[in-house]
Amino acid sequence: MARLAVEGKSAIEAAGTESELLELKGRYFGKKGAVSEILKEIVSLPVEERKTIGAAANEARQALQAAFDARLEALRDRERLAREGLERVDVTLPGRAPRIGHRHPVSQTMSEIISDFQRLGFSVRGGPEVEKDYYNFEALNFPPDHPARDMQDTFHVDWPGANLVLRTHTSPIQIRTMEAARPPVRVIAPGAVYRCDSDITHSPMFHQVEGFAVDRNVTMADLKGLLTSFCRMTFGPDRPLRFRPSFFPFTEPSAEVDIRCANCAGAGCRVCKESGWLEILGCGMIDPAVFGFVGYDPEEYTGFAFGMGVERIAMLRYGINDIRLFYENDIRFLSQF
Amino acid sequence: MKILYSWLKEFIDTKLSPAEVANALTTAGVEVSSCRFLGEGLSQVVVAKILAQAQHPNADKLSLCRVTDGSREYAIVCGAKNMKAGDVVALAKVGAKLPNGAEIKKAKIRGEASEGMLCSEQELCLSEESAGIMILPPGTAVGAPLAEAIGLADWLLEVEITPNRGDCLSVLGVARELAAITGEAVALPAADVVEDGPGIDTLVSIDVTDRELCPRYSARAIVGVTIAPSPDWMQRRLSLCGVRPINNIVDITNYLLLEVGQPMHAFDLDRLSGPRIDVRPSGVPREFRTLDGAARKVLPEMLLIWDAQGPVAVAGIMGGENTEVLPTTRRVLFESAHFAPSSIRTTSRKLSLASESSYRFERGVDPAGTLYAANRAVSLLARFASFSAAAGVVDVGGGTDFSRTIPFRTARATQIVGREYTDAECAGIFARLGFSVSAAGQGVLSVGVPPRRFDVEREIDLVEEVARLVGYDSIPTTYPSSAAPDFSDDDRFAQVVEKAAACLLAHGFSQSVNLSFVSGKEWARHAVLLGFDPGDAIRLANPISDDTTMMRPHLLSGLLHNVAANVRRFIDEVRLFEAGKAFGRSFEAGHYEEERLGFVMYGHRLPEHWDGGNVPLDFHDAKGVAEAVLSCAGEGTFHFVPASSRPFLADGKAAEILKDGEIIGWVGAVRRELLAALEIPAAVFYGEFRLRAAARGSADAARYRPLPKYPPVSRDFSCIFPSDVPVGDVLAMVREISPEIEGASVFDVYTGEKIGAGQKSVAFRVRIQPSDRTLTDAEVHSIHTKIVKLLENRFGGKIRAS
Repeated sequence: MARLAVEGKSAIEAAGTESELLELKGRYFGKKGAVSEILKEIVSLPVEERKTIGAAANEARQALQAAFDARLEALRDRERLAREGLERVDVTLPGRAPRIGHRHPVSQTMSEIISDFQRLGFSVRGGPEVEKDYYNFEALNFPPDHPARDMQDTFHVDWPGANLVLRTHTSPIQIRTMEAARPPVRVIAPGAVYRCDSDITHSPMFHQVEGFAVDRNVTMADLKGLLTSFCRMTFGPDRPLRFRPSFFPFTEPSAEVDIRCANCAGAGCRVCKESGWLEILGCGMIDPAVFGFVGYDPEEYTGFAFGMGVERIAMLRYGINDIRLFYENDIRFLSQF
Repeated sequence: MKILYSWLKEFIDTKLSPAEVANALTTAGVEVSSCRFLGEGLSQVVVAKILAQAQHPNADKLSLCRVTDGSREYAIVCGAKNMKAGDVVALAKVGAKLPNGAEIKKAKIRGEASEGMLCSEQELCLSEESAGIMILPPGTAVGAPLAEAIGLADWLLEVEITPNRGDCLSVLGVARELAAITGEAVALPAADVVEDGPGIDTLVSIDVTDRELCPRYSARAIVGVTIAPSPDWMQRRLSLCGVRPINNIVDITNYLLLEVGQPMHAFDLDRLSGPRIDVRPSGVPREFRTLDGAARKVLPEMLLIWDAQGPVAVAGIMGGENTEVLPTTRRVLFESAHFAPSSIRTTSRKLSLASESSYRFERGVDPAGTLYAANRAVSLLARFASFSAAAGVVDVGGGTDFSRTIPFRTARATQIVGREYTDAECAGIFARLGFSVSAAGQGVLSVGVPPRRFDVEREIDLVEEVARLVGYDSIPTTYPSSAAPDFSDDDRFAQVVEKAAACLLAHGFSQSVNLSFVSGKEWARHAVLLGFDPGDAIRLANPISDDTTMMRPHLLSGLLHNVAANVRRFIDEVRLFEAGKAFGRSFEAGHYEEERLGFVMYGHRLPEHWDGGNVPLDFHDAKGVAEAVLSCAGEGTFHFVPASSRPFLADGKAAEILKDGEIIGWVGAVRRELLAALEIPAAVFYGEFRLRAAARGSADAARYRPLPKYPPVSRDFSCIFPSDVPVGDVLAMVREISPEIEGASVFDVYTGEKIGAGQKSVAFRVRIQPSDRTLTDAEVHSIHTKIVKLLENRFGGKIRAS
């Protein structure tokens, strides 16, 4: 029996496949297998012998069974590995990707500006792009035949008697909003605007974001604080900025906001025309004459307004040097954003 | 406007350097966009004298010059012909780097050594063009640096004057501004006239009929003058400031325009009929020839200057050819007037005639300064021309006080700006501006504003003066106190656009931004195809080009051009969307414009992949995108029906999208003719939404429904229909059969020989989902039977298997 155990064990361990192993199993454990034969013989032995030999035989049988189980597991393991080895994928092949589109850089920039101001408590308002002269100019304190109108080359609509223009700025939304609501108002007004001008930094259509707030005790210091926060959000916390007096017919006092030129860090270069500063927005305190047009009492209420060109900010942010690229919509351009 | 630093110094003895002046002005609101040293690049250019000139032995067009700079001689090869021995010229020595970028090296030209270059004014960037080399006046000190010799040791400031600051459009105006900033004093140069001629009343009589449009008219006359070139220094200053020198009389008027901002006109007194002058509107339409030779169509309301016979000038804009100064002129009348700004502007615009003069009158010329300018002109002219000045002046309106008095509350400045100002601080600013100040009660100042400041009429204008001159840097940084922000329809709509954009971006569409203009010609050519009514177009009166003559009636053409442009660049998969407005006329409402969202697709269903198995796009790809967008950004239920009125979409492959019976969009294949016109080689699918209408409706968040606890049951039906049965309608009606029906979908559609012509086989899966129990077989069977009946009776279907 012991001999059988030793011999059987080495045979089991030599088995190369599962079927070979199963055949061995039959040879030892089957009805006519070696183990069964021995166990049958034991029955015929005398009781004393039967006890000792039986114990030994049982031990051998268990050893064989254990060897068999271990071998079976090893074989199956090897087989599984072999099988999975055949199915291993090339992880370096390109994935089956869904298509992903790209946001237009102007729209992206505009969207970020809007959400910055929404966080600062401003609410969105829109307005018509084909606008009445009254809203675009007159109520914003551009008298007819005033040189201030030359500041914005205007597209006029060919519609006799209608007195329509393509809005030259988003500021008409100030008038429309104030006509419809009493203070406090705090509005951000994005949209397309039009000026009769075309070169590498001017497009006949571009986008502006206008903002304004009217309430009791709104001051220019508040405007300065708000725009300082905005510039930090948009251009980074360490970018110096300055407020410089300027002129717009609908604000007084008026200012332009410049940020430090990032290209030369203020030393003066081609990008900033040697000034070290880049103009990014215009702003000021709403002129009392404008309040006159919408029936607000200028002694009771004060307000500020600001406006910025989205393309200009996008060009600065992304280093784009020709505004016309924005409107060609070349996929190779759009895919960069 | 260009200002010379040296000229500025004649009016204000400032301690500031040119760069400091530039910065101070910019900080106070008079923006200096550049400040340039004029001698830049001239450090190696000296005054030299030509000793001898000879023909170059090997080149007809070149000559050999021997020149001296006083200390040594140089041999120079020169291509110009306009010089001779004895001329004083500008010599760029070897090593010079000229303003135009040229570097001067020792060279051999056609075998002859050249030790430098004789420069032209163009090469020195002193003028736009030049006929030959620069010949300097004979007395110029040989050997001196050229920059010093010709007054280029100077700085040119480019100043941007905003339209409200007409008073700053001169050297004097900028000097006054600088004085207000620094507290330094402005000194007016002398303007004493030696009156050694006949009385002016004996030479000319002057009336002003329209005193409203011409509140002041000052004049001086001179006799016995000879027309000649102005001195070099004056010509140089005029040229550097962008004015072409002409002769001593014209130049002196231009010089005064630049110096004190007073436009002047010089009449040849002998050509003035009368001689007399009147100022009044034209009265009737007429033609008038201005001194540039052009015949101008003058309208009745336009203000003219008249002599005894007729008009002699368009007031404040341009003189007439009939009385301009000629080389033979001996007697001159200098006009120095103030005209009402709006009248000048209207006339200038209507005549399309703008001049340095009209530019200043439109913005306001100091009515108190006319006489000083006339005196200064004659006084300055006397320094280099000989003549007799007529005794006395004409000064209509001379006694008028044009100044204004404005009450100013210091507390108002504090209210607007948010910084505490004191009475003394404000009074100090006004004094430096040359305004008179007196106390007018507690915290109130009475401020007298000189008439040159057309922009200071109200208290707020004074607030601005205080704020900018105390400085914006001194304004504190605070934050608006919070008021509850509102949330408007436009806020909600902005979210709708963002949602739609997010959906399209996730489906591979990039965002396009097109100009809202389209070509009227192109739309007219394809009017029928584009479904465009030319009468409904919003057209521009002054388009910037032929491609941008009208506002787009819908978004297709921009996106289609984008596809074509990308295809031309060898890009064969194009998916773009655009959010923007469409425009048209509607006579009740004036005009309409509407927010639209358009998308366009070209290429294949899937991105290119090694797996293969790709197919070209078809209608249902586009419809699927439309459904996805509406599910993300729309509100309500949408039905797709065959399109009846979208001629730009191909017949049979176009749907309109309905919501509550209203068309809120359309989707389909773009008409082949439109693709052919843009040379787009394969099918393009297009969808457009009227976004506000699509999103209109309940803004409520979706309501939660409890999740089903019981197992669903699916039943499949395969049915043969006549091929014109709309499957969408079948699905919609199947869903309505029982509330237990959770959904119905199509999993196969087959047409072909096996079915027979005019028929199609459609396979559905209907999902039945009870909410409160497990359905019995009988209940399921009953629903099944109803569906079969519907398919057979309502749609003429023949059940194949179920």
